[in-house]
Amino acid sequence: MSTSMKETSFDSLYKAFEERIEQLKKLPKMKEDSSIEQVINDNGFSRREFMIWAGGVTAMLALPSSFTPLMAEAVKVADRLPIIWLHMAECTGCTESLLRSANPSIDSLIFDYISLEYQETLMTAAGWQAEQNLENAMKKYKGRYILMVEGGIPSADTEHYLTIGGHGKTGKASAMEAAEHAAAVFAIGTCSAFGGVQAAAPNPSNAVALSEVTHKTVINVPGCPPSEKNIVGTLLHYLLYGTLPALDVFNRPKWAYRLRIHDLCERRGHFDAGEFVEQFGDAGAKDGYCLYKVGCKGPYTFNNCSKQKFNQGTSWPVQAGFGCIGCSEPDFWDTMGTVNEPIKDRLYNTTFGGLGADATADKIGIGLLTATAVGIAAHAVVSAIKPPKE
Amino acid sequence: MITKEIIEKIEGEASVEFEIKDNLVEFATISFPHFRGIEMILNGKNALDALVITPRVCGICGHAHLMASVRAIEDAYKNAGYEIKNNQKIEKIREFTLIMEIIQNHFKWFYMTLIPELEKLHSTSLVQTPLKGAFAASLAAKAIATFAGQWPHSSYMIPGGITSDPTNIDILQVQTYLQELSLFFENETLGTSLEDFLSFESCKEFRGLNSDFSYIEEKLISLEMHEKGFAYDKFLILGKHSFTSVSKLNKTHAVGIDAKFVNTVEAYSPNQITYAKNAQYKKEYYETGPLSRMMALNFPIIKNMHRRFKDSAYSRVMARIFELAYLLKKASSLATTLTIAESSYNSVVDISKITASGLGVVEAPRGPLLHKIEIEKGIIESYKIITPTQFNIGSSSLKNPTPAQKAMQKLSKEEALFVFRTFDVCSVCTTH
Repeated sequence: MSTSMKETSFDSLYKAFEERIEQLKKLPKMKEDSSIEQVINDNGFSRREFMIWAGGVTAMLALPSSFTPLMAEAVKVADRLPIIWLHMAECTGCTESLLRSANPSIDSLIFDYISLEYQETLMTAAGWQAEQNLENAMKKYKGRYILMVEGGIPSADTEHYLTIGGHGKTGKASAMEAAEHAAAVFAIGTCSAFGGVQAAAPNPSNAVALSEVTHKTVINVPGCPPSEKNIVGTLLHYLLYGTLPALDVFNRPKWAYRLRIHDLCERRGHFDAGEFVEQFGDAGAKDGYCLYKVGCKGPYTFNNCSKQKFNQGTSWPVQAGFGCIGCSEPDFWDTMGTVNEPIKDRLYNTTFGGLGADATADKIGIGLLTATAVGIAAHAVVSAIKPPKE
Repeated sequence: MITKEIIEKIEGEASVEFEIKDNLVEFATISFPHFRGIEMILNGKNALDALVITPRVCGICGHAHLMASVRAIEDAYKNAGYEIKNNQKIEKIREFTLIMEIIQNHFKWFYMTLIPELEKLHSTSLVQTPLKGAFAASLAAKAIATFAGQWPHSSYMIPGGITSDPTNIDILQVQTYLQELSLFFENETLGTSLEDFLSFESCKEFRGLNSDFSYIEEKLISLEMHEKGFAYDKFLILGKHSFTSVSKLNKTHAVGIDAKFVNTVEAYSPNQITYAKNAQYKKEYYETGPLSRMMALNFPIIKNMHRRFKDSAYSRVMARIFELAYLLKKASSLATTLTIAESSYNSVVDISKITASGLGVVEAPRGPLLHKIEIEKGIIESYKIITPTQFNIGSSSLKNPTPAQKAMQKLSKEEALFVFRTFDVCSVCTTH
């Protein structure tokens, strides 16, 4: 590939982003009196730290560093997009992961700054008022809001295993309705993406993925939980491109789920050298050898944990000596057990015939979402998460 | 008159149906309208799979589930004739991460539940600072992640030990997180040092402070929460730890107990679907959680508070904040006395050799969490989970109300909803 061609393609992308941001700028702000500069400043971050963060996100989304100022610009207009976040059958771990993203880090501030119109765990309103807010937000921003769903969806004759709100509406009905009029639909976490733990055999509640109850294209952000970086990154990607990201065969954004855990694992050198932990606590375990033989499913699992880690980069399971359990793969609870044993009849390089998830990804429909018309008035439910005034 | 209220911001959803008479709550029934069937999913799986499945019951106390699972499996090893004796290092690290999970929970509850809920009751508006809660909770989670790889949903405990082998640098890092967290708690939350706060002998000493804590304390008193929200004045602590005294208390009188006497009964919720069961000890209701744990430890301030305000909503809230201080100190002492020379893991026989039952009991942020496992040649035959919210917030009949139902009686609906939240509800755990 010649350098000049590469530059040309990024040039046009750069222009497209600029236009997108200009378009978004014309839309009304959700909160008249807030700006990202203010939010960052109020929370004790300098502009320099903000730019370093923007650079990190730019790199994470596989864009050249020259896009960093554009990323910073994009964040400034993030408050033009209304977001509705629904909880289905789940443990709220994904929300907790997002809340723990930070000190408060810039990641969580972004979620403060954007207009979270409805989020059960974070909002101030509760009960009937909350239900009303949800209905209002869905009506007001019809066709324009971003829908983020956490949790699997009970279906069939056990649909009533999840009801939401005072009217006893089932989770499935709520999710279907919310998805119908959303501009973009994101399944946050493995439960929403693939059914998750409650969908493991015998699946007592007939829990299914969000994509099974709507005809809309669902972008899956699996992980149990997904890292805060993947949640925020998905949002910023949509903000910049105004379209769905390139997806793999399971509708996961390629920028995050393109590589196997194994590919960038810190213990990979030991795998290549044939140095394995044979049993927990042995000499190999002390020396950080490869965990494949004690059940690591990293070779079959597509995610960026080995790079992004968790809790603001503190650690990740493999670093703590516990192999990957495959939590961002569909049906891993049933197909990748037992947890502390390797998958005996599956060689590590056989996923998708050895080609990896890329093999069929481009055949999956990538429906383009329009970037237009995000007309909004101030409706500051999001004031629930005001930053602390130091 | 019958009205219904939906409760959010509690890890899932709950619904309370009130019978109102003369503007006061005559009675309330509680329902949890969701069900996932985790126990059924565990059946037939390898016993070790419980270590990754049960933490997924809950996004806020998954670590307690992990520890309950590992204790249940280790108990089964013992009952099968292969007793596992964990060394100091293993015990201390497990205990430390469990404590840190309780700490993050309490911080989050204080800043993200208590303050917004108080604001609803109180006519003046409070300064809402939920990001303070996120700040403190994420520091605590980082300390857990240093040993456990991630939080939520860590799985680093295994029968015979832990999988991580921390270095001195890790220990130093954890101590730094703790110092930062303690400083935050002293400066932002308490307005005094941990030592001073823990040595208080009377609630009157709170008045000298000027902080988030003292502000909340004043509001609680002005709302007369020290005269409201009484449950049975009976407390239950079942998880055995370095920071608990296992017992049941009738007022201040403590007696020893055995977790095998915990039973569950069907919930009473005639008008609403619920998937929850109520938990009891010897067929009686007890309150569990921070107030119970602090009552059993005989702190002068807690005794003083109880003498004056019994098990009121005020005492329940104050005990949770006091426990934060107590556990921060405990965590510091664990982190500074930890020696890494010992092994992280002691070899155990293969799980396929185990046919036995086991009981794992821990104290989770809201009280006792019980896991009962039956293993047949390494495979789970049956798995039962009983969670703290089932003790506190069951739904029973008017004749024999649960602690939360009793605490809500004779209050206005708004007050009752506040009192409901002083128990710190976890809805997703309750039905699992």
